[in-house]
Amino acid sequence: MKGNLAASAIVVVLLIVAPYLAPLIHLDVSILSEVLLMAIAAMSVNLLLGYTGMLAFGNAAFFGLGAYGAGLSIKYFDVHFIVATIIGVVAAVIGALIIGPFLLRRRGIYFALLMIAFGQVFYFIAYRLTDVTGGEDGMNFPRPWFGFSAWHLQLRDQPFYFVMLAIFIAVLAAMWYLIRSPFGRTLVAIKQNELRVRYLGLNSDRFIFVALLISAAMAGLAGALYSLLIMFAFPLMLDWHQSGDFVLTVILGGAGTLWGPLVGSIVYVVGKDIISTITPAWQIFLGGLFVACVLAFPKGLLGTTLDLLARRGIRVEEEPAVVGTLESSRAK
Amino acid sequence: MLEHAAPELFNGLILGAFYAVVAIGLSLIMNLTGTVNMAHGSFLTLGGYLAFTLVAHGTSFWFALIIAPLLTVAVGILVERTMMVPLYRRDPVYSLLLTFGLSLIAEEAYRLIWGSRGVPFSPPADLAGGVTLGFMQFPTFRLFIVGVLAVALGLLALFLSRTRFGLRLRAAVQDTEMIAALGTNTQILYMVNFALGIFLAGLAGVLAAVMFQLSPTTGNQLLMPAFVTVIVGGMGSLYGAIAGGVLIGLAISLTTLYIPAASEVAMYVLMAIVLLVRPRGLFGEEGIFG
Repeated sequence: MKGNLAASAIVVVLLIVAPYLAPLIHLDVSILSEVLLMAIAAMSVNLLLGYTGMLAFGNAAFFGLGAYGAGLSIKYFDVHFIVATIIGVVAAVIGALIIGPFLLRRRGIYFALLMIAFGQVFYFIAYRLTDVTGGEDGMNFPRPWFGFSAWHLQLRDQPFYFVMLAIFIAVLAAMWYLIRSPFGRTLVAIKQNELRVRYLGLNSDRFIFVALLISAAMAGLAGALYSLLIMFAFPLMLDWHQSGDFVLTVILGGAGTLWGPLVGSIVYVVGKDIISTITPAWQIFLGGLFVACVLAFPKGLLGTTLDLLARRGIRVEEEPAVVGTLESSRAK
Repeated sequence: MLEHAAPELFNGLILGAFYAVVAIGLSLIMNLTGTVNMAHGSFLTLGGYLAFTLVAHGTSFWFALIIAPLLTVAVGILVERTMMVPLYRRDPVYSLLLTFGLSLIAEEAYRLIWGSRGVPFSPPADLAGGVTLGFMQFPTFRLFIVGVLAVALGLLALFLSRTRFGLRLRAAVQDTEMIAALGTNTQILYMVNFALGIFLAGLAGVLAAVMFQLSPTTGNQLLMPAFVTVIVGGMGSLYGAIAGGVLIGLAISLTTLYIPAASEVAMYVLMAIVLLVRPRGLFGEEGIFG
């Protein structure tokens, strides 16, 4: 436990000094902010996929709803940064309340299919409501208010990164607490053996529904902040390809681990940034990353590392959902 | 009223036939192996491009119509044997991610090989022009599309219901372990089943290349409606996929006629209504996918 806390502290210190080190390797600070936001989005998927065992292949819908919720409220009502973020989160949760009932009781790939399909509705709405959302081209909006004076945050600079870092740590702490709470333990139990959970008299559908709402709120938060970072919202944020990238990020880092999404996000965002400056055909490398991750690192980078440590006799205390237990009782 | 609606309904039927064929390919693979093949659209596109390349090199359209899907199947089997087999026993998320990654690679590769702009692919001279049937004129090639897809699905239905191999395939969907214990080589079942799904995709790809414009994303544009088709028709049911495909094709063509802006959203509304009335979809089979 002490070791875990020390390791976490080291990571947090690294995240604090990161913006001062990034220029040394020619990384833009906004890339670091993107890493944190991608990590939050991946954590939203991790809650469903890694801890509850649900194939969440549609979280981009919530991510995009957050982005459009924040963007539209600034564009048309010029609201404060915090208000815009909250509106984005609320929009995402409303989206989950609408499609959630259709997903209830579905498991395995049926859940995945329905989530992909229903998530696409929001994509087409954003795509078609050209007058409001700008359609395919997306929409620009001005830099939001921040603080209580007319001081406008320099969004691409370090202050924004530190705001993001504070939010990221808060989300991470909430996640840590959530997974250790009775609610979180029940989610993990559902992943391991849902039938037993039901025999204990717990309504697993209700737990999954609440997990979906929490996941949507987190994805919406990430989407809202991301649109505020780039001052832009576009339909592809809602597309299922974006969902696929989230799932990749989770698996790449290590599903069912607290820090996995951050690890995956660092590799994904920084890798994409570097490769896209080298070649326009970066999509091949992204696809290759999917294939390599599935075939070579199914437990993710963090999961594989922890396995190696364990083999050398170094046991790191892990979360209740032990790394790599994606293979659960859930069969076809 | 009918004069306007009739051609649109016919177009809807063609769209529906494409959706149904793609959806049946997806269903075959999903039912047996629990794999959602996100790369199905890429195989469809590959079939189209291969046919395009064959015709450009002087072969006849008819030759390409058969050979291009077979070449696509060869690629499909290679992918299945080398990459997907190890994933069958693992969580479905892995095969989902793998095929998703493959579709990203494929799309970019097509762009590098054949360019990102759509390539024109016109129907052979015998099938150009139109046929007047009763009150309206039908483009011959579109009638041909419906005919070919209907024949393909008919043969598939016969294969699955009348041959020993087809029966084994269906039995394996119910209980793979039992069929293996009774002495059937399930690996061959997996391979042939995957090949059947890919053949349908390749065949649809050749026809789609002529019907729509052929571009690196042609197949992926058909993938999402095909997912909806599987859900509307009911997971596990092949006849459901046909009914679902036609229903969605008609819904899309009618909304395109009357409310163009809602044409994509229409199929999701249809899906929501169907699921509210019949939670398993129109012909969903109990037991497969709870």
